[in-house]
Amino acid sequence: MSLEEIIKDTKAYYCLGCGVCTSSCPVARVIPSFSPRLLVEKALFGFGDEIISDKDLWSCLICGRCASRCPSGVDYLNFVREMRMEALSKGKEGLLAHDGILNTIMELQSLNLKQDRNFWITDDLEVADAGEYFYFVGCLPYFDLVFGEGGLCDVGIRSIERARNTVRILNKIGIKPVVSNNERCCGHDLLWNGDLEGFKRLAELNLKTIKESGAKKVICVCPEGYVTLKRDYPRFLGEQDIEVIQLCQILADELREGKLKFLENASVDYKKVTFHDPCSLGRIAEIYEEPREIISSIPGIELVEMERNRVDAVCCGTSGWVNCSGCSKKIQTERLKEAEETGADALITACPKCEIHLNCAKYNADLKIRIKDITDLVAESLA
Amino acid sequence: MESEEIKIGVYVCHCGINIGSTVDVEQVRDSVSELPNVSISRDFKYMCSDPGQALIRKDIEERGLNRVVVAACSPRMHEPTFRKTIQQAGLNPYCVEIANIREQCSWVHEDKADATDKAVKLVCSAVAKASLLEPLEEKEVEIAPRALVIGAGIAGIQASLDIADAGFQVYLVEREPSIGGHMAQLDKTFPTLDCSACIMTPKMVEVERHPNIELLTYSKVIEVGGYIGNFNVKVKKKPRYINMDRCTGCGLCAEACRLKGRITSEFDVGMGKRSASYIPFPYAVPSKYTIDAEHCLFLTKGKCGKSPACKDACTADAVEFEQKEEIVELDIGTIVVATGFDLFDATEKPEYGYGLYDNVLSGLEFERLVSSSGPTQGKIAIGGKDPKDVVFVQCVGSRDKSVGNEYCSRVCCMYTAKQAYLIHEKLPDARLTIFYIDIRAFGKGFEEFYDRVREEGVRYIRGNVSEIIKKGDRLLVMAEDTLLGEPIDVEADLVVLATGIVPRADVRELMNLLKISQSPDGFLLEAHPKLRPVDTASDGIYIAGCCQGPKDIPDTVAQAKGAASSAMTKMSQGKVKVEAIIASVDPFICRGCGRCVEACEYGAPELQEAEPGILVSEVNDSLCKGCGACAVACPCRAISMKHFKNEQIFSQIEAVI
Ligand SMILES: Cc1cc2nc3c(=O)[nH]c(=O)nc-3n(C[C@H](O)[C@H](O)[C@H](O)COP(=O)(O)OP(=O)(O)OC[C@H]3O[C@@H](n4cnc5c(N)ncnc54)[C@H](O)[C@@H]3O)c2cc1C
Ligand code: SF4
Ligand code: SF4
Ligand code: SF4
Ligand code: SF4
Repeated sequence: MSLEEIIKDTKAYYCLGCGVCTSSCPVARVIPSFSPRLLVEKALFGFGDEIISDKDLWSCLICGRCASRCPSGVDYLNFVREMRMEALSKGKEGLLAHDGILNTIMELQSLNLKQDRNFWITDDLEVADAGEYFYFVGCLPYFDLVFGEGGLCDVGIRSIERARNTVRILNKIGIKPVVSNNERCCGHDLLWNGDLEGFKRLAELNLKTIKESGAKKVICVCPEGYVTLKRDYPRFLGEQDIEVIQLCQILADELREGKLKFLENASVDYKKVTFHDPCSLGRIAEIYEEPREIISSIPGIELVEMERNRVDAVCCGTSGWVNCSGCSKKIQTERLKEAEETGADALITACPKCEIHLNCAKYNADLKIRIKDITDLVAESLA
Repeated sequence: MESEEIKIGVYVCHCGINIGSTVDVEQVRDSVSELPNVSISRDFKYMCSDPGQALIRKDIEERGLNRVVVAACSPRMHEPTFRKTIQQAGLNPYCVEIANIREQCSWVHEDKADATDKAVKLVCSAVAKASLLEPLEEKEVEIAPRALVIGAGIAGIQASLDIADAGFQVYLVEREPSIGGHMAQLDKTFPTLDCSACIMTPKMVEVERHPNIELLTYSKVIEVGGYIGNFNVKVKKKPRYINMDRCTGCGLCAEACRLKGRITSEFDVGMGKRSASYIPFPYAVPSKYTIDAEHCLFLTKGKCGKSPACKDACTADAVEFEQKEEIVELDIGTIVVATGFDLFDATEKPEYGYGLYDNVLSGLEFERLVSSSGPTQGKIAIGGKDPKDVVFVQCVGSRDKSVGNEYCSRVCCMYTAKQAYLIHEKLPDARLTIFYIDIRAFGKGFEEFYDRVREEGVRYIRGNVSEIIKKGDRLLVMAEDTLLGEPIDVEADLVVLATGIVPRADVRELMNLLKISQSPDGFLLEAHPKLRPVDTASDGIYIAGCCQGPKDIPDTVAQAKGAASSAMTKMSQGKVKVEAIIASVDPFICRGCGRCVEACEYGAPELQEAEPGILVSEVNDSLCKGCGACAVACPCRAISMKHFKNEQIFSQIEAVI
């Protein structure tokens, strides 16, 4: 895309130069030279080359804080995405975290390869090859290689248990989901890092797999997977005849209908918790109340709010496995401190990446608060 | 008449180069000269000019033309002009047909040959219709010399006074217990800093005393029927439960009220308290009390202690719990709508913490806070202490697509400057910071006032605020100083949001009642943005003040005077011509199904029993606006629109295909 096309597509010409974006941006708060406003203004002045040569182009978290407040309706997220596409086409990319292993895993999945991604399915779990519901597992089977026990960067998490817990919950409410060994990465990170072609390859493979299973409803747990399937697949590959649902939506519905029951005194480990809205689940998908309803209805748990919650929540500090830096660490540390200030003994999140990033920030830091995923919490509390 | 030979004159306009540069006007003139019934075709540089019109009149007189086709610009502008032209030459004004070869041709095409071709077709089509045009009769109706003014803010007050001074009767309807609107809530007013109450009270009192004004407060217009000159209006007067003639305004009832100090005062925008029996503010007009039925113990629970305290306290025996609502019917000639605005609800921007933190105020709350008649008698104290740092945030809810308001509210730049000045007067040591995107100081004396405020040391920072969070018992206001390109955080004890002006929440209700429309920003729509700024699409209904769009007091008053003058012009003419292009029903074809009655926005068609058991629709000529909705709805084609009859339209279509 030419600079002019990017400006037109994202309505950058509306920018008033008010600086609300820069002032809202968690990155800009740490790195004063980083300024979404300035990037937009540079684009309007025709300095496209300067933008794509700046490595800070890759520091944007795609968290949407800026865009949600921009009074002029500038589509900043797609502005960054399209600029990154331009940069990639000129051979420039961000600093890959973990030597790029996660990016390589994503790219590999876009090729014709054979995976062993269903290794985690134990005998107690009821899954199917075909059926109405498709459980989109996402990258969980790969995360523990890096962040789990003995991984390259062990942050003490067990992501794959999330997949098992999801199936346990679904079985409990009478759903026997399709889980496919042919599933691929959803493509979120490739898309937002500017690799539109790679994203499309992954998306096509996934749509084929889902359709072959006969499923009409896809259940996502990872919020990034959810917004990618729900919003971006139709946007880039045309309307699809599938309904995409986030697990919290199903659970909240079941709760309201009284079908989901928790153990009396379910939570002994957590008395007071706070909820961290993942960017994709919150600002992007606008699912704010469902996770809160679920947490508050677990007996023995009190939910308290951080100062910056819902649409004002702050990102977990890094995204797309690029430019993870001291800046990311600072954003994460401050978020965890904010959580501690509520007096909560755990921060609940609903995104596997938030869980990884926030746990990583606790390494060698004086932060006591525990981090717990909502799916795990629900699975452990079910009657 | 029937046997009359049709003689058409065709006049093709160059419109300077507007038409002439894209359409070969001479060629158009020549190609239509041989069409049936055309006796002359000419071209001219500007048909609408005096010589252009004279040309038409001369041909009518000398050649006996009886139909005229003008190929020029949109009929919206000049159809009335040419109707007059031919009328002056003795023809019926409806014997002219306009072919729009500017907006619908020259302006939208580039290729001259194609454009000329299209222009020829458009003129042929107009000629075809002209042959079938029928003279129409314009009826006249009387205009009742009485005006209804809805809303008694400064706009409604000014309009009422002007109309009443000119000798017409005015009914001024206000839904609150007192007149005054938002201006009554303001402390001092920019740019001159006159005290709002001081300049407004004399006008309010004049309204009350004026022999030609009947004030209907605590009332709502619930029905408007009829048309210009003869609107039938119903007004619902809510019971005040206090006899207006007896009440002396002493306030003993409010003192005695068991709910004293327990009900949120609307006038003080939630910052003060009142009783169930109340007067909104000390200089209210009328200066009479009202018992609020929503809260009053006796009215909600049927019991207030042993007996209602207000009734016991009133020495004038004015409390009347048995009052019922009343419907007043009025015959009205013209209507002025002056219903004003609502304040933007800042909770729509959760990042500002409005509603969450007590020391984040809206612009209007601040007006009450600094006002000497306000809940603190004008003392600005936060948690009992003088604020040391005060921050103002501009454009809250204005120029903001994220909340759906693209427009500028036009008053907040200036009221913020004023409010900063007012704090500086009271607390000279307070540090004052204003965050802004642009300063719009466009009015008379505004830029000078902006200078004056900066002379006093008020700090303006270019950049708008992204969020406000709590820091201990103070607030942290976060923004980017866009001139320095650096994030900036300012601590504050008090934050004032320059909340913008939004359309009334119930504007739709009003639109349906009066059959008027709104512009994309939600405010009421004027008939023409430049040339008819106080008229609406409904004849005889005018708009003034902030209901039409955000504006300050000087502009509001000017517009109110404009609306009053338009209403007065009509009323002093005493008569008005009604639309001649209306629907007519063929009683033989009509089956009386009533679909036309449902389709008409203006209530013009009505089913009548023509013979026992046979219903036939009849259209009231005075109500019909000629919109054609009924003709479309009629399944039997019993309805035809004068001037747009089926055969006239088919002839036009045939001429182009
Ligand atoms: C915080 C703030 C400060 C301001 N400061 C200044 C200033 O310093 N200087 C300045 O020039 N301007 C100032 N303005 C602008 C000023 O308030 C407006 O220009 C002015 O009030 C507009 O008057 P209005 O009559 O159009 O509307 P309003 O004042 O809103 O009056 C409308 C009236 O109509 C009534 N009404 C509404 N609907 C109905 C209905 N359906 N039936 C019957 N009655 C109805 C209402 O009750 C109200 O009484 C300020 C505005 C704000 C918000
Ligand atoms: S998306 Fe988030 S990280 Fe990126 S510029 Fe906007 S606020 Fe900053
Ligand atoms: S918030 Fe929007 S309008 Fe303001 S500077 Fe950023 S992009 Fe421009
Ligand atoms: S006590 Fe009686 S006279 Fe006095 S204000 Fe109340 S109603 Fe009016
Ligand atoms: S008047 Fe000033 S503060 Fe108000 S919306 Fe317009 S620019 Fe913003």
